Amino acid sequence: MHIVISYESGIPIYEQIKSQIRGEILSGKLAEGAMLPSIRMLAKELRIGIITAKRAYDDLCAEGFLYSVQGKGLFVSKINKQKADSFAVNEIRAKIKEVAAFAELNSVDVKIIKEIINEILGE
Amino acid sequence: MEGLKITGLVVDYGTFKLDSIDLNLKKGCITGLVGRNGCGKSTLIKTIMRQQDAVAGQILYNGKKFAENEVEVLNSIACVFDAPHFNIMAKPKRIYSLYKSIYKKFDSELYEKLMKKFKLPDNLRIGKYSFGMQKKYCLILALCQRPEILILDEPTSGIDPFDRNEVVGLIQEYMLDENNTVLFSTHITEDLDKIADYIVIMENGKITLDEEKNALTGNYRIVQCADINDEMRSNAIGIKKGMFGYTFLTKNKNVTGSGMQVKIPTIEEIFVHMLGENGTYSGGNQNLSYKELQNRGGL
Repeated sequence: MHIVISYESGIPIYEQIKSQIRGEILSGKLAEGAMLPSIRMLAKELRIGIITAKRAYDDLCAEGFLYSVQGKGLFVSKINKQKADSFAVNEIRAKIKEVAAFAELNSVDVKIIKEIINEILGE
Repeated sequence: MEGLKITGLVVDYGTFKLDSIDLNLKKGCITGLVGRNGCGKSTLIKTIMRQQDAVAGQILYNGKKFAENEVEVLNSIACVFDAPHFNIMAKPKRIYSLYKSIYKKFDSELYEKLMKKFKLPDNLRIGKYSFGMQKKYCLILALCQRPEILILDEPTSGIDPFDRNEVVGLIQEYMLDENNTVLFSTHITEDLDKIADYIVIMENGKITLDEEKNALTGNYRIVQCADINDEMRSNAIGIKKGMFGYTFLTKNKNVTGSGMQVKIPTIEEIFVHMLGENGTYSGGNQNLSYKELQNRGGL
C-alpha cells in the first residue's frame, strides 16, 4: 500500500488517505480480505494524528470498502464491479461540479468548459 | 475513556494566576498545548506533577484523586520538564541507577536501546551534553519509566530537524499502545499540525480554546484578499492588514470572492489570528519583575 500526504494541497489529511486507499482497492492492488495496518500504526507511519487515521478508516468502513473484525483488525471488503463504477462516476461528477463553480467564480462561459472537455477527450 | 481530568484548578502567585483550569486529557490521544511565553503552560505542567501547589480544584487520574494516591499516580505519569531537573554534573550511569531505584517499572532494555539509538555517550557528564542531547536524555528517562501519561514541556525546541523528527517518531511509537496519553506543550506548532489529536490554547492563565484538531482546521479558513467589506469583517477573526492586502481567519467556510485565496489554516495561523483579536492578549512576562518571574520558575 502506498500513501502520500501533502500539507499544501488544501485537502484534509483524512480525505487524502481515504481516496488513496480507495484507489488501491478499486484498482485491485489491495485485494479482498487483505488486512490493513492498525489505526495507530497508520498514524505513526504517516506522521499524522490518531483521530485523523481513525476518521479515514471509519469513513472507509461506512462506505463499505473496509470492514472490521473485533480484536483482529481491518480488512478489505468485497467490491463488485457495479459499486466500483458508480463510485468512480460520482467522483467524476463531483470534480466537474468543482470545475463549474470555479468557472462561475471567474466568469468563464459554460460553453468553454464543454469545448475543453471535448478537446481533451478527442470528440 | 478517561485519562487525566483537571477541574477548576487555581494556582495563585499573586501577580499571576492560573484561573479555574478545566482540562480533560483523553486517553490514547495526543493533546497539544500552545500559548505565548508566560501564559501558564509550564505552571500548569508543574502543578500536574505536584511541584506547585494549587489553591483550588482537583486532578483526577482514572477517576482517582491525584492528591490521595500520589505514589501510584506519579508512577504512572512521566514528565519531560523544560530543563533537566537532576544534577547535571552526574554521568548517565548515576542518573540511571537513581531512576531505576525510584521507578519500579523502569525499563533498562529500552534505556540501553535508546541511548544507542541517539548516540548519547555514557561516560560524559550530562552538563557536558549539548542542549539537544540533554533534551533527548530527559525524554529517554521519561519513556523508560513506562508511564501511562507522558507530559512533555517543549521536547522539540532547540534540537536539530533530524533529531526532532526522531523525537516525534518516539512519541508516536509510544502512542502505539492505546492506553497511553500525551500532553505536548510546544511552540513548534508544525509538530502539532502533524501528530496532535486535540489542541488547547492558553492565554493569561486561562484556557481559551480546547478542540479536536480536525474540527479546528475543518471549521476555520484563512483568507487572503485585496479588499475587505463589512460582511467579511463581521465574520473575520484577527484581521491583519499588510502592504498587499488583508489576511484573516474566519469560521465562514463558504467564503468566496474574486482574487480571494482561501485555505485550511495551520495551528500557527489559528493561534496568531486568535491572539491578535482585539488585543485580548495583554502582556505575559513583560509586566512581571525579575523576582516575580523567579517565583514562577520562569527563570
